[in-house]
Amino acid sequence: MNSWSSFPIGEHLFLFSPMIALIATMLVIVGAPLVAGRGSRTIAGVAVMGIAAGLVLSIRVAMHVGRGTSGFSLQPAAGLLIVDSVSAAFQIILFLFLAAVTYLWWIGSVETESNAPEFFILLLGSAFGMALMVSSTNLLGIVVAIETASLPSYALVGFDKRDRVAAEASLKYMIFGAVSAAIMLYGASLLYGLVGSLSVVDLAHYSITKFADGPPLLLIVGLLCFMAGIAFKISAVPMHFWCPDAFEGAKIEVTTWLSVVSKAAGLILLARLVSIFSGIIDSPRAMSILGPLAWALGLMAAVTCTVGNFAAYKQVSVKRMLAYSSIAHAGYMMMAATAFLHPATNQYATPASALLIYIVIYLFMNLGAFGVTAMIVWHEGNDRIDSFTGLIRRAPWLAVPMVICLVSLVGLPPLAGFLGKWWILLVLGSTGTPLAWILITVLAINTLISLYFYMRLVVVMTLRDDGRPEVKCPIGGVALVNACAAMLLIMFFFAQPMRAAADRYANSFYSTSSAKITQGDAPASTSIQSLSVSDSDDTLFPIYVQRIPPTQEHR
Amino acid sequence: MTIGLTHYLVVAAVLFCGGLFTMMTKRNAVGILIGVELVLTSSILNFVAFDRYLGKGRVDGQITGLFIIVLAAAEAAIAVAICINVYKNLSTVDVDRATRLQG
Repeated sequence: MNSWSSFPIGEHLFLFSPMIALIATMLVIVGAPLVAGRGSRTIAGVAVMGIAAGLVLSIRVAMHVGRGTSGFSLQPAAGLLIVDSVSAAFQIILFLFLAAVTYLWWIGSVETESNAPEFFILLLGSAFGMALMVSSTNLLGIVVAIETASLPSYALVGFDKRDRVAAEASLKYMIFGAVSAAIMLYGASLLYGLVGSLSVVDLAHYSITKFADGPPLLLIVGLLCFMAGIAFKISAVPMHFWCPDAFEGAKIEVTTWLSVVSKAAGLILLARLVSIFSGIIDSPRAMSILGPLAWALGLMAAVTCTVGNFAAYKQVSVKRMLAYSSIAHAGYMMMAATAFLHPATNQYATPASALLIYIVIYLFMNLGAFGVTAMIVWHEGNDRIDSFTGLIRRAPWLAVPMVICLVSLVGLPPLAGFLGKWWILLVLGSTGTPLAWILITVLAINTLISLYFYMRLVVVMTLRDDGRPEVKCPIGGVALVNACAAMLLIMFFFAQPMRAAADRYANSFYSTSSAKITQGDAPASTSIQSLSVSDSDDTLFPIYVQRIPPTQEHR
Repeated sequence: MTIGLTHYLVVAAVLFCGGLFTMMTKRNAVGILIGVELVLTSSILNFVAFDRYLGKGRVDGQITGLFIIVLAAAEAAIAVAICINVYKNLSTVDVDRATRLQG
């Protein structure tokens, strides 16, 4: 009895090859100083080769999964990891942004940095954690992924050992992270005891049956504790205190990394969990749990974006202002996640596509804004708002993309940020619940508030001038931020194709994440092979491979 | 008296509350980390106890316990390194004295 004979090991290894490339690069960087010395340029070269290899592999995986004919997912019911088109697409984005962060590091620190191997090992390690995070559907997997992404990030924030502010920032980040991870694990242990399984799908089914007979206290405590870890990762209120401190204290390239990719990974994880819960919506009793869940998530989202925008109001450090703005944006994206939990939108995967579009737009807006800030920091030595005075004269090629990114962050047309907000509003409006209307009001008011502090920076850059010297900045950095700004314009004018692509991704995301396929027998169109080593039902984490049919027509 | 699931859960809950209390009241970063370790231990105890009493042949909880032990070790390594770095820079690991970043 050799059940491994039917196990497509080669295919599995291929699907996880981008992650394997990350780990291999880390190992090579560990060994490289023995052979080639600790020179920053050598190490960065090795890292870039690894990132390039990972990028190629992740594109191949995305093509493989995207064709549908041989795409597969490890079924959420029992597997630890999922590979679907969304996780594949995220990995492509991950490698692109790794390259961008490496490039920013090259501009900023290649001359002065003496610990390049350690920096890249930590950076690639946290990237590996984020790649795991978007693929996890199991309580243990989620905890391990979040910790794998967080632990290197603490060290990255405090990477400059002589910098007092960085030391303090990493201390605060680490303490918040450790506390939230511990609470999250205690919540996971309670959930395991209640459900008897670590799978999120089982948890969703269990929650439905329990919530129908009145709110079960222990389950609510477990869910809230577990949520603490995810809220920490996306810096949702009340776990947001680390965010501005860590962003201000860290080096600008690390700040860019944390604010852009780390948050996107956390949000995709949240979306996956919420979509698993919403997948059980067919059950008539489902509203008893989805209602309270949606309210809890919606209130958290509303408080998060309000706190973020009000705190950004009075900041003088641009990094800190952008940190609060990223908290506010996490709030907007959580609003889209609440729309998952409503029967009206649930079948069409529209909330998922609105959320995915917003995440992609957010990536480019923030990379552009942080890229410009980075160049000002390198030139002026600080990131106070005064340093941006008269930027339109001193460096027009920085000022114009910065204005574009800021206006897009507010969400005004004709920029992509408007599309993201507009689609979230549409999705919320189509559910038509009281909660949705509250959230729409909150979002509109918050957009008005955010207009003030983003425009303050725009005014300082364009209308004031105190005769500071021109900014000298590397041509590559200018190209990077202008490319981001151009992407924001292009995405706005190609909204329809982008929407179609997002819908396609959302559909596949939905079908792989949704728990529907696990109810009763598997549908005829899918064939599920159980691949357990001992053929008994009690094996540890049996892996189920499910072949999904070719991409469904968008409904 | 036979020892049952409840006993383990009560011990774990006491550990959790002790850890939570420590995390909230201590101002020394190392003290907070001790609180974190207490909470992690309570969750390991929960996982293993549920495994033992919820049915035969379960190993998920025990494996998770092993994972948490490794996580706790990794976290302690990073945390102590950061504490040492903070002590070198600020000559204290009192989190209330770390006040350069505010607002």
